Amino acid sequence: MSLVLYYFLTITAIYILMSWGLYLPYRVAHLHFLTVANMLISGYLAGYMVQTLEVPFSVALLAGFAAGGIIGYIVSRFIGDAPTFTVVIVGFTFIYISRTAVENIKAVGATMGMFGLPMVAGSPVMHRWTLLILLYALVVVVGFLIYRFEHSRLGRAASVVFVDKDLATSMGVDIKRLGRLVQTFSSLVAGGCGVIYGFIYRSFHLDFFTFHLVGIFMTVIFVGGYATMWGTVLAAPALYGLSLILPPAVASWRIVIYGAILIAVLVLKPEGLITRRLAHKLETTLSRRRKR
Amino acid sequence: MQTFIAQVINGLSLGSIYVLLATGFNLLLLVAMIIHFAYPQVVVFSMYIAWVVLRYTGNSILLAVLAAIVSSVLLNLISAPLFQKIMKNREEVDINTTMVLSLGIGMIITDILSHGFNKGLPIAFPAKLVGETPILRVGVISLMGGQVASLAVGIVAVSGIFLLLYKTRPGRAFRAIAEDPNGARLVGIPLLRTGLESYALSGVLGGLIAVLLAMLLGYSSPGLGEQVAHKVLAVSIIAGLGNLAGGLVVGLALGILEALVQGYISGSWSNAIAFVVMLLVMLFKPRGLFGIKL
Repeated sequence: MSLVLYYFLTITAIYILMSWGLYLPYRVAHLHFLTVANMLISGYLAGYMVQTLEVPFSVALLAGFAAGGIIGYIVSRFIGDAPTFTVVIVGFTFIYISRTAVENIKAVGATMGMFGLPMVAGSPVMHRWTLLILLYALVVVVGFLIYRFEHSRLGRAASVVFVDKDLATSMGVDIKRLGRLVQTFSSLVAGGCGVIYGFIYRSFHLDFFTFHLVGIFMTVIFVGGYATMWGTVLAAPALYGLSLILPPAVASWRIVIYGAILIAVLVLKPEGLITRRLAHKLETTLSRRRKR
Repeated sequence: MQTFIAQVINGLSLGSIYVLLATGFNLLLLVAMIIHFAYPQVVVFSMYIAWVVLRYTGNSILLAVLAAIVSSVLLNLISAPLFQKIMKNREEVDINTTMVLSLGIGMIITDILSHGFNKGLPIAFPAKLVGETPILRVGVISLMGGQVASLAVGIVAVSGIFLLLYKTRPGRAFRAIAEDPNGARLVGIPLLRTGLESYALSGVLGGLIAVLLAMLLGYSSPGLGEQVAHKVLAVSIIAGLGNLAGGLVVGLALGILEALVQGYISGSWSNAIAFVVMLLVMLFKPRGLFGIKL
């Protein structure tokens, strides 16, 4: 497998997982940018465990998931039912705080970053295949869980919360509990993604976790369609692939291109490319074919 | 004690910038019903325009001020139809989507600044604008021209906006739209024109802030907008969204807190401490200290 294809496949998987991490809380109208801080914290934690404490990668990965989940849960106790803009600003604040903390901690390389992380398997080829299989297994598991969530009472409750919180409350939906559940789950996924993201490049640097990342994930869910999980699956490879096929001089402006696409979609097709109606239609057609 | 006084003075001038930004931000929120998260990025873009004009006009401050105001007003007016279109698409006020749109605008502005100006490196403003020597110096306390100007303009601009909102007919129209857009339409207030006036007014304010920020900091960078945007939104949330008086108190308090932390704690931890305090307030009072006025 060529390196370009490897990076395309792995980074696309990270984009899909992280965008699902934003998509799920957005089902209850929360833009949960804390996930990017979760990536950073869990990634650096795992990097430190593997490089300095010589802990096996699998243990460090589990620790990354746990750290993401725990931080997500604690924060969600406060902002489980907060307004969207409060959730946004809490997420941004965490990104700033965690970046500043890493900048000042020499054990994790401070502003220099962590380089030369060990491989997760014996050879470079095995290292790549292991991460690739791990990532796509994670995509399948997380996708399955989100699919089940969407087709459950919780998913329907989330739809009501998105449309009208007062109506949801009067129908007996516990908004705070639902908010906590989706926020904690997305933070947990982000924690694991952060660990794998660093091990793809075998390094961690603060430049990996900037506001550009927030912009990219936001573009993926709003361009793909924020009302269904399938929009992300379509938009993530398309947007990342776009930056690979463009000439380098144009590709360096990719954030401007993403921003322009985001604005165009918000104005012209507010629900994104894959709308809920379209997804429902496709699901019905596919299930009919299966029955035949 | 002298260090404390010096830091309080620094904090007041920085705080007055936050107050101005929060006022422009709240004005758009109250009248146009949008969370213009990219408003500080618009301000930073105007700083860059002012820098370009200063470079090519032999440091003409008057032209730089005019260019900053014009660019800020233009950017605000260009973005206005996008926000209006989104509102029309949804047939209702949707603050969340306007915030996402605004984040998109912010992404574009930041990246243009990163690629299109000074090779993405921070820019420095000339001494003619920033001021070379302090106006007053007592021990470690020194008062720079930028500090005095930002405080003075801050007080005048915020008082002016309070007067405009509470003592004039256009101000009553602004408040009527904020209170009840449909009711305001029924009594004959033109929603579109009044909305555009608020964009233009916050644009003028943005241009002034750009010049003051340039005088106060002496530099700018592409990432400055994101950092300031985050603080301004935090000031507005801590005060209570749309609460102008609350924004005044919280903006000054945040400026003083930041300056004190920078004065007494070394390294870049100072920023984190200011953010931690902000975070704690937001976690325990997510609807603001002074109440939401929407």
